[in-house]
Amino acid sequence: MKLAAHYNRASIFIAVVVLMAGALIYYFAIRQITRNQLDREIAEEIAERVDYVNRNGKIPKNDFDGNLTQFVKINTANFPTRFFDTVYVSSPGKAPENGRAAAALITVGGQHYKVIITESYAGINNLVQIITLITTVLLIVLLLVLLITNKYVLTNLWQPFYNILHELKVFNVADPKTLPSKPNRVDEFNELNTAVQIMASRVKNDYQHLKQFTENASHEMMTPLAVITTKLDTLIQDENINADQYTQINDIYSAAAKLSRLNHALLLLVKIENNLVNDEEALSLQSLITQKLQQFKELIAAKDITVIEVLKENRIVASKTLIDILLNNLFSNAIRHNIEHGKLMISLTNEKLVFENPGAAKPLDGDILFERFQKAPGSDGVGLGLTIVKNICQLYHWDINYSHQGSLHRFEIVFNKDIETVAKK
Amino acid sequence: MKLLIIEDEKGLCDNIFNYFNEEGNICESCNSLTTAIDKLSAYKYDCILLDIGLPDGDGFGVLDYLRENNRNEAVLIISARNSLNDKILGLNTGADDYITKPFHLAELKARVVATYRRKTFNTNNKLIFNEITINLLGRTVSVNDTPIILTRKEYDMLLYFIANKGKVISKNAIAEHMWGDEMDMHDNFDFIYTHIKNLRKKLLDAQCADYIKSIYGIGYKFMTE
Repeated sequence: MKLAAHYNRASIFIAVVVLMAGALIYYFAIRQITRNQLDREIAEEIAERVDYVNRNGKIPKNDFDGNLTQFVKINTANFPTRFFDTVYVSSPGKAPENGRAAAALITVGGQHYKVIITESYAGINNLVQIITLITTVLLIVLLLVLLITNKYVLTNLWQPFYNILHELKVFNVADPKTLPSKPNRVDEFNELNTAVQIMASRVKNDYQHLKQFTENASHEMMTPLAVITTKLDTLIQDENINADQYTQINDIYSAAAKLSRLNHALLLLVKIENNLVNDEEALSLQSLITQKLQQFKELIAAKDITVIEVLKENRIVASKTLIDILLNNLFSNAIRHNIEHGKLMISLTNEKLVFENPGAAKPLDGDILFERFQKAPGSDGVGLGLTIVKNICQLYHWDINYSHQGSLHRFEIVFNKDIETVAKK
Repeated sequence: MKLLIIEDEKGLCDNIFNYFNEEGNICESCNSLTTAIDKLSAYKYDCILLDIGLPDGDGFGVLDYLRENNRNEAVLIISARNSLNDKILGLNTGADDYITKPFHLAELKARVVATYRRKTFNTNNKLIFNEITINLLGRTVSVNDTPIILTRKEYDMLLYFIANKGKVISKNAIAEHMWGDEMDMHDNFDFIYTHIKNLRKKLLDAQCADYIKSIYGIGYKFMTE
């Protein structure tokens, strides 16, 4: 729910409650005041009656002002004046209505009378109607005003917030340009803007440092590796080295090569994750796979693997470097983990690319397969190949799935071309 | 061939120096941008091996110097950064090739020879090694004027061996040269054996001397005598 809606809800609730409470207080206060007023009037009426009786020495025959006056004989002189609410009939044939009455003692020639004067509450009833009307009108006007205020003032007031939000949504850490600073008349938003700007520039700085660090780390590691490799290259020129020592040297070669591959792979992952490879172009996967088959020909032949390829035309927009690496990894895996005289099934359609090869009878653990440094038992790889494959797929919003059927291992890339176009838009 | 090695890592510099310093080659080395410019202003070279990361500045400075002075040296960049940007920048500012650390000396040698050959292509498009004649333009090989048919990989391998003649080349280096280090085939180099066997057989069948010698446990050597 939007902020304005929350605000509307709260303000409408408060407005209704306050107005209702106000109306109630109003009603009771005015009722009290009117009743007091009525009581005073009735008291005056009684005084008039008493005055009349005292002057004329008899009970008045007719009622003075249409007020209902009753005289009732009583036997006690001990009768204090009292006021009470009552229901009475103002004139014969009319419906009974609420009234206010007072009873007092009048003595005429030794005979005690109780005089009761009743006045109508009609005035108060009108009042309640008027109060209800005013309250309702007020309520409607207030709600309208609140809604309009919220709609225009609030939206206008919060506009800077939405601007900042938009900036944050499109924030790209790799983008060197800074967030725009728009001065605003609301202090809080100015503060927010400043905080966001400071944060963004700090993140960008950190990112730049990290980028530099990875580059420098790569540089620093590659040079010693180059020294090791070239020293070995020089060492093996010596004619006095025996086969045993050559084996040792071979192991050092392999370790150095592995370290270098590891370093390259880690750097590549950093690059993919930070979206630093952006040499995208239109590619034909079909022809790339055909090229790769040619490139891997000798390795495929060495294991006597039969390749079964069903390749349909499939054009994608991606970085050639990354697709090259992706295919290299898929091919290397499918060949390396293949059995002797095995098969390699490659099928490419517009929707997906599937690599299938027989291998170990035990299926791979699909959950951790694509994690970093997960290696098949006995594999000499660095354990980053499939992580790289997965990250490249993620970069282009493709799905990669692993499944197996007996000893047949299957890797499937689903291209999701619709999503891709949507994401581009 | 007169060669200048600009490399600040002493261990690396010495190794390259020793590997290249043989009959027919004159090598010089320096370890900073300033000394490199000094040497370049005084002498002419055929080929320059240039490390991009130098202690007193960017190796690109050397390329700028060469361009400003209309020099014609072949330049091979040695870089620790496997970055496409650096590569493009280097090749656009006048370098002829780009090699990423770590590398095998055999690979470096093959690249230098190829680069130098490209620079002098017009005058010399035939590579002659004893009875083997390679036509670099047509990519054909003949032994004692008898043409032999080589596959693309065998042809590349022969060039690679001749560039590194007299040197022991490890199987790692051969695999990386032929299939690239991205192939990630690890320690299984058995398939190399088949290729070298085929190449050797084709050469022997054409009455060529047996130049390719297997060094047990490590690799191969292209014998010069």
